[in-house]
Amino acid sequence: MGKEKTILGSIHISPKAVAAIAYQAILQSYGVVGLAPKNLAEGLAHTITKEPSRGVTVHINDDEIDIDIHIIVEYGTRITSVANSVANAVRFQVEKSLGLPVHDINVHIQGLRVSNGE
Amino acid sequence: MNPNTMDRLKYLKSRPIDGQAFKKLVEAGLAWLKANQETVNSLNVFPVPDGDTGTNMVLTMQSAYKEIQDSGQKEIGLITQAISQGALMGARGNSGVILSQIWRGFSRALHDIEVLDGMNMVKALEEARDTAYKGVVRPVEGTILTVIKDVAAAAKAALEDTQDPFEILERIVPAAAASVEFTPELLPVLKQAGVVDSGGKGLFYILEGMLRYVNNESLDSALTSILPISGMNFENTLDAIEPGQDYEIVVDFIPDSVLDLKKFYSGLEEMGTSIQVGEGDGMYRMHIHVPTENKYLPIDYVLNIGTVTKVAMENLVAQMEDVASTRRSEKIEVTPIEPGQIAVVAVSPGKGISRVFASLGVAALVEGGQTMNPSTQELLNAFENLPTDQVIILPNNKNIILAAEAAKEVTVKKLFIVPSKTIPQGLSAMMHLDFDGEIEKIAEKMTNALDDIISGEVTVATRTVEIDGVSVEKDQVISLLNGKLVCSAESIEEAVMVMLAKASAEDYELVTLFYGQDLSIQDANRIADVVRKEYPSLEVELQDGGQPHYQFIISVE
Repeated sequence: MGKEKTILGSIHISPKAVAAIAYQAILQSYGVVGLAPKNLAEGLAHTITKEPSRGVTVHINDDEIDIDIHIIVEYGTRITSVANSVANAVRFQVEKSLGLPVHDINVHIQGLRVSNGE
Repeated sequence: MNPNTMDRLKYLKSRPIDGQAFKKLVEAGLAWLKANQETVNSLNVFPVPDGDTGTNMVLTMQSAYKEIQDSGQKEIGLITQAISQGALMGARGNSGVILSQIWRGFSRALHDIEVLDGMNMVKALEEARDTAYKGVVRPVEGTILTVIKDVAAAAKAALEDTQDPFEILERIVPAAAASVEFTPELLPVLKQAGVVDSGGKGLFYILEGMLRYVNNESLDSALTSILPISGMNFENTLDAIEPGQDYEIVVDFIPDSVLDLKKFYSGLEEMGTSIQVGEGDGMYRMHIHVPTENKYLPIDYVLNIGTVTKVAMENLVAQMEDVASTRRSEKIEVTPIEPGQIAVVAVSPGKGISRVFASLGVAALVEGGQTMNPSTQELLNAFENLPTDQVIILPNNKNIILAAEAAKEVTVKKLFIVPSKTIPQGLSAMMHLDFDGEIEKIAEKMTNALDDIISGEVTVATRTVEIDGVSVEKDQVISLLNGKLVCSAESIEEAVMVMLAKASAEDYELVTLFYGQDLSIQDANRIADVVRKEYPSLEVELQDGGQPHYQFIISVE
């Protein structure tokens, strides 16, 4: 759990909270048309829970935050640019909201969505 | 008819907007966006305030324009398709990706269409809007998306009054401007920062550039615009140096009274070009390129209107040479290596050959070859900073293998040498590269591939000598087959033909001729034709190798 010490005590930040912030940034990120569960088992679990952290995994070790995001990208966009933009947006939003540095952001392209007859 | 002597608009209207006419518009859009690049950069606060929206959009548009630059295609559907392809491949950053989607929709609607008219233009803009909106789960309003939406709506509304694409363009540019101005009302983060949306503004500049071209207005510099000082970037202005503009002058000053920007600009325009004015904390910074005889004028001029705090003067001609030389060396894009992958370092004697190696996946290139062997240190420098400890070297010359061996002694990285003695051998080895394989196995495979190819070289003898039973006079043309001297001849053509004959070229499929810097493309073409005639069953490829000393490096496979 992410910890910050203040004179009054410490603040704990759960991975779920970080995931929620990342989730918002991802949905607004251009080229991303969906998040994907990283495997079938998780996919099944999530059909029940409807967690917003679906497709976002956050690991917090000591002061380091690592975020894995699993996304579906619009077919016909330049995937590397989309992935870079997502990573930048997530890093910016999380760091701005938490004031803690994000160590690694790994973007996994789980699939492409093809819209209108191409 | 000459567009310069006649009203440009009338001239343009008299002709159909086909692929070539549209190309001009795109070129103008790009030029105007570029002129305003820094303004767009300085507006960038969303989604991440990294100040690169303008740069990203320019790079995306440049890549799009490059696809059509040399095309003579008349059909607008095919031209916009090429633009869309180029924009996709060059899309950089968020705004670049959205821009590429806009082009994608625009071109899709014009599929199979030859000439742009009012109806299909509106359709294309609507399709551009729809495609742009599809690319995101939660579209954010107050961005470039909103601007393309408003542009499409304005175009549709204009259609009630006119079918003329130029008149529609005249209507959508002010609509885009109004849409951009309204973005802070839709996106609070813009309002907080006191800016309009950068991507939307970029799109506006592209459209405005097209309209400025139609109205015969200047596209070079964004006059009367004022940048934040932090947003000023003089590097880009080096692109636009005109003959006679020899000095770059930058003056910081505090005006005595409120600065009349228009008047200030017009005074500067009389002295030089590439004018930029920036402002921050009550201080102004002025940038201009002037001819040598005018170099003190801007300083005197500014002294008259305020207090000068700093002056910088630089000789541009010297600077240009620096920029040009770094450009030349940067031109070749090597494959970026992911941590832990196998990186290949190749030694290459010429730009053209380097480009071929780069396209095959080489991670670093070292300049060198016969008579200019790179040092061990140069080889080390090429790979020591790559984010991997698995490196393969292709020396591509037998004299460089030793330097590579020495590099192996020194480095802590896992270094394998694939002992290629010629360029063709190096290229043949590259065909077997697998970035993620086991380096021992890959190096072995690459080494085995060295003999899959026949290497030929054609050069001029530097001394009189007899080797391998061939006697050579100084200044005769000689050819080598797999490193062995096979022929001395009076002409390059003869040397090439004898070498190919000795190699039994008729038993192979492909001959690639890399012509060197000492040979003109005409001569190279002529000789390639002779080869084609002599060996009709062979595929003959001619490539600009750019190597010194060797008129030809030839691979037969």
